[in-house]
Amino acid sequence: MHSEKQKHDFEPKIIAFVCTWCTYAGADLAGTSRMQYPANVRVLKFPCTGRIDPVFILKAFQQGADGVLVSGCHPGDCHYIAGNFHARRRFAAFRKLLEFIGVDLNRLQFSWVSAAEGGKWVEVVTDLTERVRAMGEMVEFKDLALEEQWSGSLNTPELQEAYDAI
Amino acid sequence: MQSDTVDTSCHAAIAEAVRTEARRILSDGTVTAVIGYAASRRKGSTQPIVITSVDDADKLIFSAACVNNLAVYLTKAKKDVPRSGRIGVVVKSCDLKALVGLMGEAQLKREDLYLIGIPCTGVLGSVLQPAALLTTASIASKCCECTDRLPPGCDFVPSVQLPQQPRLEQRYTDEIARLEAMSPAERWEYWKEQFSKCIKCYACRQVCPFCFCEQCLCDRNRPQMVEQTPRPAGNTAWHLVRAMHLAGRCAGCAECERVCPMDIPLNLLNRKMARELKELFNSEAGFEVRDKGPLNSYQDDDDQSFIR
Ligand code: SF4
Ligand code: SF4
Ligand code: SF4
Repeated sequence: MHSEKQKHDFEPKIIAFVCTWCTYAGADLAGTSRMQYPANVRVLKFPCTGRIDPVFILKAFQQGADGVLVSGCHPGDCHYIAGNFHARRRFAAFRKLLEFIGVDLNRLQFSWVSAAEGGKWVEVVTDLTERVRAMGEMVEFKDLALEEQWSGSLNTPELQEAYDAI
Repeated sequence: MQSDTVDTSCHAAIAEAVRTEARRILSDGTVTAVIGYAASRRKGSTQPIVITSVDDADKLIFSAACVNNLAVYLTKAKKDVPRSGRIGVVVKSCDLKALVGLMGEAQLKREDLYLIGIPCTGVLGSVLQPAALLTTASIASKCCECTDRLPPGCDFVPSVQLPQQPRLEQRYTDEIARLEAMSPAERWEYWKEQFSKCIKCYACRQVCPFCFCEQCLCDRNRPQMVEQTPRPAGNTAWHLVRAMHLAGRCAGCAECERVCPMDIPLNLLNRKMARELKELFNSEAGFEVRDKGPLNSYQDDDDQSFIR
């Protein structure tokens, strides 16, 4: 089975944070079944989605990820009973925060992929990769990381005056 | 814009009632200490004070310059301070919400406290001029949107008549609406500008009653999750982590915003999150002790339309 190799101008970096019990096993199934999916995804395995802290997502973006996937067990299937329910609330809130500071949520995908869903894994990864490819590079966090200087202008006149005087 | 004066004539009666009550509870042994406000050196300025003897009760005052949230002195972060018994504490409604939150997080027990509630006409937004008149312009933004001027469930509340409040503009609500109406790119620019001002002094963390972790994630360096330098990348991470850690817990006392030397609108983020959590999980900081906040509990049927 040979899939067509295509050359793209831009290959997005996708970081996937997955739980070891469902999604990792699902991705493994996709692999052992020799299903093809974009090689853009780097998989990081966690014991549970409940362990996936929002700072990991931030860190991924800062380190150059163009898209992030978080995936774990379907509701009710969590190895630790409720880890994914807690994660679901946390990420619902985190999305609102990111949205409010101006991050395009299309770069961030949350999914439930079970150990039996090799096909769904392929679908999710392909969709996200293509979507992010169309969006182009995620520059916001990278630009921030490059900015060395304290660059804010002060909105308090007295402070600005004091600062200018230095 | 013309500004109307807020009637603060009840402050004298409140101060007097607080002194009398402090004297009573200290002398009959109800409490071993009272945390309240005392006059500070500059004219009109106030500072937190802990008194343990009846003679010191005269030092207690109350005015529009009593801005501090005294709940911060009761967290585990202050655990090296020996607790000798029940403690009296002077609280405004917004401060009380913080105490209630701390009770929900098992930091405090209600029976260890004696709550002296303040019927509140609002406090000054800035104490750079502590003797300034309280007006619709000088009042703190949080007070413009305060719906709880009488703290409920306290052990003692001075019985004074609260004056009619002049009309106040809802600064946070308006500003959140203004930001929500922007494009994502404009919002990013706005916050980038705001966050880049941060000098990582961590005053916002030190003053917040809910920032009581013995080791802050942001101080860890093995592994380092948040860059510690006061540069734009680390600043943004710091503010997002702070907003996430306070989400569903923040009492809205706006102390973080008040103490920020760089005038970063921290409470805008907190309030936005509070609003989202109310909408998502129907949960908000209030006067009922909650066993679990919205981000450490769940329901089977929580919205998951964003997950596929
Ligand atoms: S928010 Fe309400 S209770 Fe708190 S200081 Fe302002 S008016 Fe008083
Ligand atoms: S985050 Fe700010 S407003 Fe919220 S409780 Fe802490 S100090 Fe008060
Ligand atoms: S108080 Fe202001 S300047 Fe200091 S760390 Fe907090 S946000 Fe940054």
